[in-house]
Amino acid sequence: MLALLAVTARRLGAALVLLIGASFLIYITIRSAPGDAVDAITPMGTPPEIKAQLAAEFGLDVDPVTGYGAWLKHSIVGDFGESLVIRPGEEVMAMAAPRFAKSLLLGGSALFLCLALTMLLSILMGEPTVRHQGLTGFLYFVTAAPSFVAAVFFTQGVNEFVRGVVEGSGYETPPWYPIPISTESVMPYFFAGIVLVIGDGLFMDMLNGIRAEILAVRNSQFIAAIRAKGASTLPHIAKNLIVPAVSAYVSRLPLVLGGVVIVEYVFTLDGGGYMLLEASKQRDFPVVVGLSVLFTASIIVLNLVADVIRTVVDPREVARGG
Amino acid sequence: MFFRRLTLRLALLLSLLSASMAHAQSTFRYPEDTRPSSLLPFFAEDMSAVRMVELLFDPLIIKNKRGDFEGALAASWKVDEDQGGIKFVLREGVKWHDGSPFVADDVAFTIQAAQDPKTLFNGRGKFNFIREVQVEGQFGVHVFFDRPIPDAESRFLFKIIPKHAFSSTAITRKDKFVREPIGTGPFKLKKGGYSLRSIALEVHSDYWKPSKISEVLMQHTPDKSMQISLLQYAGGKAGVQAVIFLPPKNIPIFENNDLVVLEPYHTISWWYMAYNHTNKALANQAVRQAIALAIDRQELLEAHLGRGDILSGPFTESSPFYNFQVEPTGVDTERANQILESAGWKKKGDVRAKGSVKLDFEFVMDKELASNQALFLGIQSHLKKVGITVRPTYVDHARYRDQVFTRRKFDLTLNIWSFEEVEDVYPLFHSKGAINFIGFNNSDVDTLLDTARATRDYKKYKEQMKQLHALLAMELPYFFLWSLDIYSGISKTVKSVYIQPYYYFTSFAEWGLSP
Repeated sequence: MLALLAVTARRLGAALVLLIGASFLIYITIRSAPGDAVDAITPMGTPPEIKAQLAAEFGLDVDPVTGYGAWLKHSIVGDFGESLVIRPGEEVMAMAAPRFAKSLLLGGSALFLCLALTMLLSILMGEPTVRHQGLTGFLYFVTAAPSFVAAVFFTQGVNEFVRGVVEGSGYETPPWYPIPISTESVMPYFFAGIVLVIGDGLFMDMLNGIRAEILAVRNSQFIAAIRAKGASTLPHIAKNLIVPAVSAYVSRLPLVLGGVVIVEYVFTLDGGGYMLLEASKQRDFPVVVGLSVLFTASIIVLNLVADVIRTVVDPREVARGG
Repeated sequence: MFFRRLTLRLALLLSLLSASMAHAQSTFRYPEDTRPSSLLPFFAEDMSAVRMVELLFDPLIIKNKRGDFEGALAASWKVDEDQGGIKFVLREGVKWHDGSPFVADDVAFTIQAAQDPKTLFNGRGKFNFIREVQVEGQFGVHVFFDRPIPDAESRFLFKIIPKHAFSSTAITRKDKFVREPIGTGPFKLKKGGYSLRSIALEVHSDYWKPSKISEVLMQHTPDKSMQISLLQYAGGKAGVQAVIFLPPKNIPIFENNDLVVLEPYHTISWWYMAYNHTNKALANQAVRQAIALAIDRQELLEAHLGRGDILSGPFTESSPFYNFQVEPTGVDTERANQILESAGWKKKGDVRAKGSVKLDFEFVMDKELASNQALFLGIQSHLKKVGITVRPTYVDHARYRDQVFTRRKFDLTLNIWSFEEVEDVYPLFHSKGAINFIGFNNSDVDTLLDTARATRDYKKYKEQMKQLHALLAMELPYFFLWSLDIYSGISKTVKSVYIQPYYYFTSFAEWGLSP
């Protein structure tokens, strides 16, 4: 138990250093990019003195390193500043946190669905056969598209289906039709989740990894021994799959969150990804830095949780240095 | 059979999922390419914000369909005999969205806030002519000018904001009002209606004029093809009821369409290719003239943008200042080559050069102007025929503004100028003009612009602008390209549509929606 606590404490310390380093890099990058929030909001011909006063009001009149120092000082006590452009004057965390939570829920659920489906499919497929090559080839083809391409094709496909079949059959058209109409319905989130599962080759990547792990466990000597004793192998296989499943989930989360940014933009979902892209386009640096910190922190925290789970399931992880 | 049954079941499922969420029948929905930068009229400096503010706020005076001035918040007005002031009698019984009464103090406050040096916005110059505001009772305002102003009514199209919503006349861009505006306009912000992706408005029940539509929803849809889909798929029944600007290539989709009508409207805007005059080669008029002769504008317009007018100067053909005696130059590659030869630009390989100066230019473009890439490729191939090479640099919008307008690091660029009411080109071409980002400096042009600015007689002013047109067509500070025929795509369910130039929604209270 003490060893576990020590590993957790060590990881937390490293995570904090990583978070500060990441926030510094993000802050400096966005502040050093050509064009700033004043350029984004003022029309052509705005007198230089007005632009200079606005720059001072927005805190852009100090060099990026000094600016970062001030930002860090305030953010330590929970003050991440105010939005400059996309929702002027609103506190960054008040607007970013609920939207980020939506994105995390979307990405996390999509990844969980992907994991569950790939596990189920791996179990159903069993040992590799020639027949499986056709299936995996087809799945490779279907899931290879980048998420933004998949999102565009998916929306067009669903729109065509509703127009051709739902309307054609005389049923009432759904409120989320045509995508991406602004709606209170949760269906666009569901569709976005599907796109995340099938886009960027995620599904096949997970399937290959999980299937290999399942086969390795099923064909291992200790499972053969258990089977020879006539005992049930399922609990043992399940326990031995927890570590690879958690690792697969956590290692792919950054990729999925990257996909969330794009998919939210295509479906115009009011989440953290959409907000991050809008804020970046308009150089709303407090929002960009605040959201980036949330994205980075979530990945660090989930990795930490994964480490704890791995250590609890397999104490040898502590001996390996956590 | 199996698949047919499956698709029908899926259709039923999708329909059931939607049953509890039917659309409000009289909600007018429209997409915007960009989110409004602000809902406070002073800071509404992009077109999506201008349109949204039009629904939320009222000015004292509007320009009606016939182009005449008509009272909005002003019941009547009278210009002083010496043209040194104007006296307004305000409409009584008008209420702000929060129920407070609209009074003369609000008009005075709006002007004082606009003139406050701490209210940082680009349009402050439009209030400089006001010397003093006198409030006369609850509903009388007398505004005095610093000089006689002909056509004074045109200066009072600005929106009025409520005094009681602010603690001082110094208004910042972070003011809560930007997100929670209170106007007197036909629509007010719905509770929680201001989100990142959409802005929802509901009818202002105390509005001084009846509105036929009960709700408006603006949704941010950056992708134009998605906007077209929203109009095309649903035909305006369930999707959006209007697409503000239809790219010319999409116009044929809606020609003779059963559900959508093409609504033309006028914008005072024109396209140009700007030369950076600090570049030695481009400062040479012969080079600019050769470029103008080498580029086939008609071909580019028809191939990539559709319909429009080729221009010879800095005004649209509908402008009173457009000089029809100045014909747009045609394409003449041979003459362009001759001009460059005579000016000493000799071909060395594919590129012409004079000494160490080559006719090789960096062409900086804004990624947000979607047609830029295709236009650039056309221009590149046309210029190649006369020994001029151009290298593209595509940058995002914020960087473009910084690189081209602030740091002026470009040789050539392509862009559009849009004007509100008056086509004032002084800031563009006067050597001291605020938007003369090309470094153009011509004493004849300066003199003409200074003289025109001091002219009180409109007829004389018009003549001077026509002279300016002719002069600029010769000097070519820009290569003037075209003005486009602009169309909105509007669902046939929307009735009594009149699109106000520039402001778009001025007469929106009269628009209706049939089920």
